[in-house]
Amino acid sequence: MKLELVDLLFGVTASVYLAASALFFASLFGWPSSSDDASAAPARAARWAPRLVAIGVPLHATHIVAASLVLHVCPVEGIHFAMSIASMLAALVYVLARPRFHIDVVGAFVAPLALCFLLASRFVGGGAAPKFRSAILPFHVAANLLGVAAFTLASAAAIAYLVEERQLKQKNLRGIFQRLPPLDSLDRAEHRCLVAGFPLLTIGILTGTLWAHEVEAGGAAEIIRAAFGYASWTFFGGVLLLRAAAGWRGRRAAYGTIAGFGCTVLVLLLYLVRDAGAAAAVAVGGP
Amino acid sequence: MILVVGLSHRTAPVEVRERLAAGPEAHAAMLGRLSARDEVTEVMFVSTCNRVEVVALASDHGGDSAKQAIAEELARHGGLAHHAELTPYLYDVRADDAVRHLFRVAASLDSMVLGEPQILGQVKDAYDAALAAGALKGKLARCVSRAFAAAKRVRTETSIGAGSVSISSVAVDIARHLFGDLADRVVLLLGAGEMAEAAARSLGRNARAVRICNRSFDRAAALARELHAAAVPWDDLEGELQQADVVVASTSAREPVVTRDMVKRAMKARRGRSLLFVDIAVPRNVEPAVHGIDNVYVYNVDDLEQEVALGMKGRRQEVDLAEKIVSDEVAQFLSWSRGLEVQPTLVALRAKTRAVFLAELERSIGRLTHLEGDRAALTQMVESAVSKLLHAPTSRLKARASGGEDDASELASAMRFLFDLQEIGAHKASGRPPDPSAGVEEDERLPH
Repeated sequence: MKLELVDLLFGVTASVYLAASALFFASLFGWPSSSDDASAAPARAARWAPRLVAIGVPLHATHIVAASLVLHVCPVEGIHFAMSIASMLAALVYVLARPRFHIDVVGAFVAPLALCFLLASRFVGGGAAPKFRSAILPFHVAANLLGVAAFTLASAAAIAYLVEERQLKQKNLRGIFQRLPPLDSLDRAEHRCLVAGFPLLTIGILTGTLWAHEVEAGGAAEIIRAAFGYASWTFFGGVLLLRAAAGWRGRRAAYGTIAGFGCTVLVLLLYLVRDAGAAAAVAVGGP
Repeated sequence: MILVVGLSHRTAPVEVRERLAAGPEAHAAMLGRLSARDEVTEVMFVSTCNRVEVVALASDHGGDSAKQAIAEELARHGGLAHHAELTPYLYDVRADDAVRHLFRVAASLDSMVLGEPQILGQVKDAYDAALAAGALKGKLARCVSRAFAAAKRVRTETSIGAGSVSISSVAVDIARHLFGDLADRVVLLLGAGEMAEAAARSLGRNARAVRICNRSFDRAAALARELHAAAVPWDDLEGELQQADVVVASTSAREPVVTRDMVKRAMKARRGRSLLFVDIAVPRNVEPAVHGIDNVYVYNVDDLEQEVALGMKGRRQEVDLAEKIVSDEVAQFLSWSRGLEVQPTLVALRAKTRAVFLAELERSIGRLTHLEGDRAALTQMVESAVSKLLHAPTSRLKARASGGEDDASELASAMRFLFDLQEIGAHKASGRPPDPSAGVEEDERLPH
C-alpha cells in the first residue's frame, strides 16, 4: 500500500465531508447567492448533504484501514486514529438512522465532526506506550469508540432539539425552524442513541478500570480522565434512568445528554494532550 | 386566437359563482356543448369554487363570436334565462393576454389565496377531461401544458407556496413540527362551535382520534356524529388532557378553562409527553402561564394570526420572481405560437415550388429520354434546389414571426398573394385552422 494512495483517500474523504458540511450549513442558514433560483437551493443542498456523508463513510473507513497498514499502527491504540474511527462510526450510524428517524439535520453536526477528527488523524501517534499495552486495551477502545459514535449522534439530536424547542417557546416559526425535523423525532432519536451507546460505554468503563488495574496506571492524568469518564457515564445513565422513572424528556434530557457528551469530549481532549506531550518529549530527546 | 371567458372571485360574488360551479356530470355536459360549437376549435372548461372559466381557441379572427358562444353556454350551464344576466360578472381576455392569464392562474398568481396549490390540480383535471373528450388537440393543448410547466417552475424556484396562510394551516404546521406524523395522535376539541368544527376538519383529518369535550354534552355528541369523533363529558376534561396530544380550545367561557395546575398534573401523568394547545377562543381558554411548563406549547389566536400575516408577506415577496418566470414561459410559448402561424404559408410555398420544379423535370425527361436513367439524381437535385431557394425566405419569415414583429402576418399574406398559394385559402374556407404541428420541423417543437 503506497503512501500516495493514503494521501489521496485522505484528500477525497476530507473534500467529501467538507462539501457535506457546507451543504448542511447552506440548507440551514440560507444560500450565499443572489441568483433567481436561490429559494430552491437550500432544498437541493438539504437533499445532497446526507448523500455526501453516505459517500464519505466508506471512503473514511478505507482511509483508516489503508493508513494503519501503511504506517504499521494499530488503529485503536493511538487517540488520533481512534477519534477518526469514532467519527466514522458516528457518520455510519447517522447514515443508517437517518431514514428511520428523519434526522437529516443532525448531519450538520456529524459531518463537520467527522471532518475535524479525520484531519486530526493526520497527526497520528505511534500507539500506546509498551508499558500500557494489554489484551484488554482493544476491547476498551473499541467499546468506547462505538459508544462515542452513538453519543455524538445523541448530542447532535439534543442540540437540534434545544434550538427547535426554544423557537417553539418563543413562537418564532421562521428561518431555521422550518428546516428542522419534528421535535418528537429528535427526542426519540436522542433516546435511542443513548440506549445504544450506554451499554457500550459501560463496557468501556469496566474494561478501562480493569486495564488501569492491570498496567498499574495511577498517574494524575489517568485519574482525571477516569473521573470524566465516570461523569459521562453518570450523566448518560442518569438521563436514561430519569426518563424511565420520572418521565424526563425533551429539554432536560437534552441538557443531560449534552453534559455527558461534554465529559466524553474532555476525555478525548485529555488523551490528545497526553499524546502531544509525549510526542514533544520525544522530539526534544526526553523520555 | 386563444380566448378566456369566465368569472372569478375578483368579479363575481359567491352567489353567482356557486350557480356556475359544476360537478363531474355537469362539467362533462358543459364540455360537450362547448366542443360542439363551431365558434371554437379547441376548448377547456375550468370550474373551481373561486373560478369558472372557459379557455378556447376561437375560430374567428377577433374572437367576438366565440366569446358570445361561450357566454351563452355559461348562462345555460348556470340555468340563466339570458346570457346578459352574466355580463356584469364576465371578463374576457384574448390572444397574448389570454395566454398570460392562463399561465398566471395555473401558477396560483391569480388565486384568492396567493400560492395555494389546489388550483394547479384543478386545471390539470380540466385539461385531462378536455383531452379525454377530444376537445383539446393542438395549439391550445400545447398552451395548457406549457402553463403547467410554468407553474411547476414557479413552485420549485420560488417560495410562493411556503408558509401557512390560514389559522388552521398554521395550527397543522405547528402540530407537524412538534409530532411529525399525526396518524398516531389524539386531537381534543374544547367547545363544539363552528370554530371547533373547522379546526377538527383540518387537524383531525389525519389524526388517530378526535374527541370533543363541551359543557353541553348533547351538542358535543351531535358534532361528534358529524365528524366521526367521540364525545366526552366536560367533567372528564382533566383526564382527557392526559390522553390528548393536540388540544383545540374554542369555548365561549369568560375565564380560562385550562389552568396551569391542571396541566401540570396532566403532564405528570403523561410522563413528559409533548402537549400542544391551540387556543382560538377570545377571551382565551388556556391560562398563558401554561406555555411556561416544560414540553407544553400554547398558541393563541394572535400568535396564529401573526404567523398567517408573515406567511402572506413571505408569499407576496415572491410574486415578482414568480411573475418573471411566468413572463419567460409566456414569451417562449408565444414565440413558438407565432412561428406556427406562418407555418402553413411556408408549407404551402415549399409544396408549390417543389411541385412546379418536379413537373418541369417530368416534362424534360419526357422529351430527353436519355435522361431517364438519371431520374433519381435529377429529383435529388430539384429537392436540393428547392431547399436552397426557400431557405432565406423561410428563415426570415420565421424569425419575424417568432420575434413578435407586426409585419410577419403581412409578409405571409404577401407571400400567399405573390405565389398564389391556394392551400391556405382552403384551410380558411373550412373554418378550421390547419393542424398546427403539420410541417413544423422537429427542432422547432416545444418540449412537453
